[in-house]
Amino acid sequence: MAIVAKTSRFGKYGRPTLAWVVGLLFFFPIFWMVLTSFKTDADAVKPEHLIFFKPTFDNYINMTENYDYWRFAKNSVITAVMATVFTLFVGIPCAYAMAFNPSRATKDVLMWMLSTKMLPAAAVLYPMTFITKTAGLFDTHFLIILVLSLINMPIVIWMLFTYFKEIPKDIIEAGQMDGANTWGEIKEILIPLAWGGIASTALLCFIFCWNEAYWTVRLTTTDAATLSKLIEGNRAPEGLFFGRLSAVSAAAVGPIVVLGWFCQKQLVQGLTFGAVK
Amino acid sequence: MSDRKLPRLLQTPAVLLLLVWMLIPLGMTLYFSFIRYVLNSLRRPEWTTPSFSNWRGFGNYEFVLNSKDFLFAIQNSLFIVCSILFLTVILGVLIAVLINKTFPGQGIVRVLLISPFFVMPAVNAVLWINMILDPVLGLQGIAVGGINELIDGLKDAPLVGWFFGMWPELQPISFRATQTSAYAVIIMVTWQWTPFAVLIFMTSLQSEDQQQKEAAVLDGANTWSQFRFLTLPHLARPIAIVVMIQAIFHLSLYAEIEIVSRGNGNKNLPYLIGEFANNNIGAASATGIFAVILANIVAIFLLRMIGKTLME
Amino acid sequence: MGRIVLKNVTKTFGETQVIPPLDLTIEDGEFAVFVGPSGCGKSTLLRMIAGLEDLTSGAIEIEGEDATEVPPAKRGLAMVFQSYALYPHMSVRKNIGFPLRMAKMEQSEIDERVETAAKSLNLMDYLDRKPADLSGGQRQRVAIGRAIVREPEAFLFDEPLSNLDAALRVGMRLEIGELHERLKTTMVYVTHDQVEAMTMANKIVVLRAGVIEQVGSPLELYHKPRNVFVAGFIGSPKMNIFSGPEAEKLDAATIGIRPEHIGVSMTDGLWKGRVGVAEHLGSDTFIHVHDTGLADMITVRITGDIAVKHGDTIYLTPQPDQIHKFDDEGLRN
Repeated sequence: MAIVAKTSRFGKYGRPTLAWVVGLLFFFPIFWMVLTSFKTDADAVKPEHLIFFKPTFDNYINMTENYDYWRFAKNSVITAVMATVFTLFVGIPCAYAMAFNPSRATKDVLMWMLSTKMLPAAAVLYPMTFITKTAGLFDTHFLIILVLSLINMPIVIWMLFTYFKEIPKDIIEAGQMDGANTWGEIKEILIPLAWGGIASTALLCFIFCWNEAYWTVRLTTTDAATLSKLIEGNRAPEGLFFGRLSAVSAAAVGPIVVLGWFCQKQLVQGLTFGAVK
Repeated sequence: MSDRKLPRLLQTPAVLLLLVWMLIPLGMTLYFSFIRYVLNSLRRPEWTTPSFSNWRGFGNYEFVLNSKDFLFAIQNSLFIVCSILFLTVILGVLIAVLINKTFPGQGIVRVLLISPFFVMPAVNAVLWINMILDPVLGLQGIAVGGINELIDGLKDAPLVGWFFGMWPELQPISFRATQTSAYAVIIMVTWQWTPFAVLIFMTSLQSEDQQQKEAAVLDGANTWSQFRFLTLPHLARPIAIVVMIQAIFHLSLYAEIEIVSRGNGNKNLPYLIGEFANNNIGAASATGIFAVILANIVAIFLLRMIGKTLME
Repeated sequence: MGRIVLKNVTKTFGETQVIPPLDLTIEDGEFAVFVGPSGCGKSTLLRMIAGLEDLTSGAIEIEGEDATEVPPAKRGLAMVFQSYALYPHMSVRKNIGFPLRMAKMEQSEIDERVETAAKSLNLMDYLDRKPADLSGGQRQRVAIGRAIVREPEAFLFDEPLSNLDAALRVGMRLEIGELHERLKTTMVYVTHDQVEAMTMANKIVVLRAGVIEQVGSPLELYHKPRNVFVAGFIGSPKMNIFSGPEAEKLDAATIGIRPEHIGVSMTDGLWKGRVGVAEHLGSDTFIHVHDTGLADMITVRITGDIAVKHGDTIYLTPQPDQIHKFDDEGLRN
């Protein structure tokens, strides 16, 4: 950009400053939550202890000792990981078929899949509870994994589809000419080529699974209860137990935010759903 | 050809799973919406088990249509979704343009900005409504209290005291009333999803044609014209994506509404269904069918319109 | 080994018929070139032979066996794509060895064959590079290497040279020609460039809108084009084709005369015209002549150099035995 080399004063100082202010503002609520989690419940609501207070780990100790945090965390990890794996397992072949052997209905099928995400979960809550209880699946890991997979499958398939479409069709056809069967094409050509896209899709799917709070709360009691259930249980009436609430929240959100930081690059790509270059 | 059929068959597991996932509950909802079905009834215990003998025809639908909550819930759903879309797109474009150029710490600012997107919706709601927006104990209450105290103190100051004496006492806003709690929902969801918009727009800005911009500079275009005539059209497609994805997610917004509202009257369609479902499954199901219809109308408009550009 | 027979083959995309019923036999060991303007269906035809495109009706026989329903992988054909279609995540060695690995060949055998192929294609120094680190010509050679290691019944080439620059294209043309001489395997080659067709083929198949206009050896097509289309398509510069009184004199609706079959004089001749642009190539001179009253422009090709300039009056005389005559339907008289 040689011809616009002259940088205005705003460009040199104002822009970075403003950018930092915006960034910090957006991060502030998370920072505040973490800060509050180190306050006692009493200190948390006292204006004089807004910033200066005696930090304590009591909330976290309390959480792990009395609220069984690790069990919820373990369930969250198990269900989110398994659901992501299962979704990809079903989604990759589907997106492959759609991207490389499209029929006239492909676009409509994709759009229909996406539209299932718009259905109000509340409308089918009662039948779902009824069915799962009858089938003896209520509050099982299997059920939660299945449900998490299903609600994320449309987005995952769509993302994979957009990534796969980037791969030149010639390369897949070359694979066919070279004697690869369908499985060979997927394993030897498609997956290695779309690895970046698959990884970001998987990450995003994992995050959505982790954060899901409608079905995980309503279709579990204890055995398969995830961290969102823990939050639900600690949603005390207004103003009470801010410290405890913050600790639970921070512990529920923390892992995923840190994961997000580390995988930022892939995520940014993934978040664009492959549709923006 | 046999070799072509197998790849097509690979779609079937996903399609079948989603079909079952959609049709079975939907079928049951449809069934329940045409019968009298409540969870507890001392007067009519036969209504507590679903059965065709409790057929009510369109009775549940009439009941829902006549309930004053229904129209309000629809309006409120649309109000909330549209406001969020509007705010996230505007903020997203502004912030994306702001941080697109390199500056010291750009990477860190990006990490800070992206963080809200990872926060669990339930935590988001709990965090904002309690610790930030609460009129007494939240940061809002504390800030308003602090300002009032400061002004109170200044009233006795010599010379300028009269000036501050004329200031009214600030009242914190309660975000738990019917309408203000909708604002609270809008604020927290906007906070969570603006990063999403920023990231998409930023990715798109990075692919902007720099030669085109240089040509525009040579043609005498100032910064604003460049933004208006080059950048904004370039962003049309990403904006469409942001709108579409968010519409998909926010039409079924639930956790935030539930946590913020707590029966204060603020509701959207999913929440209304939840309310009915506490007892009147028939009415909840009828509302659910309405919600499905609404979702499909939006889907047809949105997905068809935007989907076309996305498939290219 | 590789005799390919197309029987009554058709292809429709939706409502449009891309290939009307078509019969064609490619003999074993032949170098057949499908040539035609873009959109004439030549690539579709090749892809149908490859099995990448379904037939709407008809049948394909490869080596005497019906291959219509056989998946591409099992037809024993190898294909070189226009984009080369190398696997970007694999080294050259892996790329070339891929078809053998898919055929579940022993690793030692694969290595051996890859080395042999790489040696013959001058790729030994690049075996461990990724396709992205290769030049266009090298990528092309890798694509060919991947095709030859399989020792296929026939090779299919889909405009393999169109992504190369002019100099490389000539070189690769020779290499593919030599390859054919050496292997004697059937090759089917698609191009829109009639020079490639003329220089490489034993048999040229000229296609227009899915219809075979003429099949024949390069010289047959040059000397005896079956119709106006083939006459105009084969040969460079293009044949001069016009109708009018001059054609009627010869009892034809249209006549054609190749630029190299017209004599030039500054003083007298059959036709008189004015020089437009003269292109001096050194070895040849192409003169574009206007105002002849025959056509907008007549192109003349003179061996060697000739001193003409823009606006000069010039006289043209065609060699009578080289005039092609066509009837009302454009067919050769």
